Amino acid sequence: MCENCSCGNDHNHDHDHDQNVLIPQRGKIINIVEETSDTKTFSISTIDDKKPFDPQPGQLGMLSLGNVGEAIFSVTNKGENHIEMAIKAVGELTNALHEVEVGQEVGIRGAYGNGFPLDFCKGKDLLFIGGGIGLAPVRSLIMHCIRNRDDYGKLTVIYGARSKADLCFKEDLFENWPKVPNMDVFVTIDREEEGWDGHVGFVPSYVEELALKPQVTVVCGPPIMIKFTLPGLQKMGYADTDIITTLEMRMKCGVGKCGRCNIGSKYVCLDGPVFTLAEMKDLPQEY
Amino acid sequence: MLVVLKAKLKDILNTLAEEYKVLVPAKIEDTSKFISYKDNVDIILDENVKLSPKDVFFPQTEKMYKMKTVKTSMELENITDEAGKKLLFGVRSCDMKSLDCFDQVFLTKGYIDEFYKNKRDSVVTIALSCSQPMQTCFCSAMGVDSQKAVGADVQAYDLGDKIGLEAISDEGSKVIELIKGQLTEEGAEVPQPGEFYLKVDADGVSEKLNGMFESPIWDDVSKKCLNCGACTYVCPTCHCFDISQEVRGENVTKYRCWDSCMFGEYTQMAGGHNPRPTKKERVRNRFMHKLNYFPDRYNMLLCTGCGRCINVCPVNLDITSVIKQIKEAE
Repeated sequence: MCENCSCGNDHNHDHDHDQNVLIPQRGKIINIVEETSDTKTFSISTIDDKKPFDPQPGQLGMLSLGNVGEAIFSVTNKGENHIEMAIKAVGELTNALHEVEVGQEVGIRGAYGNGFPLDFCKGKDLLFIGGGIGLAPVRSLIMHCIRNRDDYGKLTVIYGARSKADLCFKEDLFENWPKVPNMDVFVTIDREEEGWDGHVGFVPSYVEELALKPQVTVVCGPPIMIKFTLPGLQKMGYADTDIITTLEMRMKCGVGKCGRCNIGSKYVCLDGPVFTLAEMKDLPQEY
Repeated sequence: MLVVLKAKLKDILNTLAEEYKVLVPAKIEDTSKFISYKDNVDIILDENVKLSPKDVFFPQTEKMYKMKTVKTSMELENITDEAGKKLLFGVRSCDMKSLDCFDQVFLTKGYIDEFYKNKRDSVVTIALSCSQPMQTCFCSAMGVDSQKAVGADVQAYDLGDKIGLEAISDEGSKVIELIKGQLTEEGAEVPQPGEFYLKVDADGVSEKLNGMFESPIWDDVSKKCLNCGACTYVCPTCHCFDISQEVRGENVTKYRCWDSCMFGEYTQMAGGHNPRPTKKERVRNRFMHKLNYFPDRYNMLLCTGCGRCINVCPVNLDITSVIKQIKEAE
């Protein structure tokens, strides 16, 4: 049960009951990192330099540009006074976001969703598998584990993208994470290219090739990658309850009212976005 | 029971109108719906209105807040709801039950929808029992008592040429107090409802649907559907909404409006993926939501048997036939 209030939710979340949940706070973009040609990471604070909300790893936030629209994104990291969202330019709002500069004011509300099961992960070895922009939600958990390094076992990242230029979070992958104690990072790209002496091949086959012992695994990426990764993991003896992923659906409200993000009787905005493979098997195949 | 002659109903409404903004079921522009009471409105007491009172609580289009966007700045401005108590007279049991469904959606599961709550809190309801079901009514099959509504402040009974009134809540007692002088005490009984034309046995339909997501009946059920969305607009329990904005130069008004799971855009994601790409998935979601998903989540059906969807559907897609088909499926 939510310990912050008597709202009846089955997990803790941090919201102010006096605040109209559908009205955003006034925020601003304080930093922009160009990850790839079509993906940027935006750091967002409130107008008075505070953290807009305190998200748990895996939770979501609604970001809006006043005259364009509002959409939900996973929060990919948080700092003392800001949150980060990695956003790929795929539609009207995201393309407009890619045009803005530091200082742009935005609407921001959250945090929504269940987040990753931190208590369950505590003390265990964790394997993170990501493809393309799919590393965005997983990164929030990886950063959490790094900040609380002693609470978790060995950390392993297997990440792939189409090409070297398509790799997100390069500084983390090649500079920061390899320096973290007891943490391995494996990076692959789909096809050979000049100047790349790392692994070449798709993520699912790289996972099978590395044949790491069964452990708690977080898989996020394009549906096709997840589809081909899961059977491999199961074949290697990974339990359905130890395989964790995030689902996405179109959302408008983020708080379980507007209706569209249901998969069966579950709302991805409230009951997700994080589901174990065991939980997903109870859902209708409609995502 | 306290009663009033139907012929004297307007006297009572006039008294109540001094205290509340009164809304009544009335004929208007070749249709019928709840409208503001005035002495000359054509009140309907012999059948339910074509459009449910859901828009009183959840307007078809509702302004949420305003923004002023100048260069990189974005200022937010709240919009305050119109103040004052409203009184809804003559809400049928099916439509009262739909408010019970709305309360589940908008007021539970961790988040309260303030836009809805403000309206809900400002409305007092006088429910009205039905003497004769209409051709498309099937409320009793959905567990709704046509003679006694859930959540009403006052229950009114159709007693032929009179109307009986019974206070249910404290708010309802206040209403009765206001009009007490215009009522007389009589030994009237709660009337028996007439026979339903449309019969369906919905018992066990929710449980039956548990294993029917992949059933071939959805191909059949969805075949004639036009995805026009009319059923979802007239449905008193359909509550899905879109959020969008109206941009006039620097001034932006954020609003929400009714949406429909019948539309492809509804689940269309920016990257191009659509988890419900054809009408089969959309029709299945509509019936599964009403009869299985909602009961699973909130422990009640999301259909009150008002029959409006049957009445408006241009291709006669009838939820009672779908229920029969589900129950007969192997």
